[in-house]
Amino acid sequence: MNVPLRLLGALAIVAVGTLIVTGAPVVAKDSQTLAPVPGRPPAPDFDLKDPDGKAVRLADYRGRPLIVNFWATWCPPCREEMPSMQRAHAAVSKEGIGLIAINVGEDADTVAQFLSQVPVDFPLPLDESSAVVTSWPVRGLPTTFVLDPEGRLAYVATGGREWDDRVLLDLVRGLKQ
Amino acid sequence: MGFLKSALWALPLWAICALVGADQVVGTDPEAGLPFWAWEDGALEIRLVQRLPDQTRAFFIGRGFSSAAADRVARSCVFQAIMRNRAQGGQTPVLGIDLTDWRLDAGAGVRALVSKDVWDAEWVAAGESEAARIAFRWSLFPTTQELRGGDYNWGMISLGVPPGTRLDLMLSWTIDAEPRGAVLRGLTCAPEEILEPKQE
Repeated sequence: MNVPLRLLGALAIVAVGTLIVTGAPVVAKDSQTLAPVPGRPPAPDFDLKDPDGKAVRLADYRGRPLIVNFWATWCPPCREEMPSMQRAHAAVSKEGIGLIAINVGEDADTVAQFLSQVPVDFPLPLDESSAVVTSWPVRGLPTTFVLDPEGRLAYVATGGREWDDRVLLDLVRGLKQ
Repeated sequence: MGFLKSALWALPLWAICALVGADQVVGTDPEAGLPFWAWEDGALEIRLVQRLPDQTRAFFIGRGFSSAAADRVARSCVFQAIMRNRAQGGQTPVLGIDLTDWRLDAGAGVRALVSKDVWDAEWVAAGESEAARIAFRWSLFPTTQELRGGDYNWGMISLGVPPGTRLDLMLSWTIDAEPRGAVLRGLTCAPEEILEPKQE
């Protein structure tokens, strides 16, 4: 009789302990945040072409903050955040802040077809072989980095965001020299 | 507190969750119109949405896979996984996911999920195109992932059991490197829908 009671008591202690250990942090469901990248490593270089064959080089953006998004047409959250990226681009391009979205693994026709449905006017370079995305610290799509004017990775967002959110854009603006 | 933590490590993670009576959430995903199983624990949200085998077949054929390869994946019990760190702030807590630690029990012993690497080796051996393999790699949930506040990721996971199988899935994750776990019970792989001719 004592053994089951002791076992029950031990289990109760463990259960209470678990509740303490797993105490829920304060959460906000639709929080919009960017995570700082520790140490701000330099962004891996790239030299790609957009669907029209125009060159898009990372080096051309040196000296100003740059938002670099990795995406694919078949990725629902990537598609979902595109219109907000266009609005963000419209809001910050005059301030000298760049925005490009690198397509992963698809060809020019596929991206052109997407553009006919979701028109954007920022560069969409093609990383057909996925060589660029694998050289960046990307685990899934979409992932977006914010580079500082020195070309270093300052912030990262894994998963989609509403990019025209002032909170996010102010973080990007804060990188201006 | 030290004693409590020691006691906790002595038990399997899913047993701990069963002890505290935490509930899983089951419902119908409004976008997919298919059943989902979810677990929420503070900052963490894990949601697994059924994928019909035909959905998966169509997706991978559309990405350049042969129909035989697409069929192999489609019949391996694929779920759409969405994992989210709902915490506010870009720094803490950090949610860590390692799918190699997840286990499933469909009544024939505990086993691991089918990993990206296992699939990729199969695609190489079968001569599937590089473009198809790239799409496959990026459409599966990353094997390991760290999500900071506000981050989420999504992607497919394949459990490697036949369509219609009912199983328990033992989840594990870390919050600021501290291990946690849960069991999703009664998870059901989408059945292979075969349309029978109607009899008049």
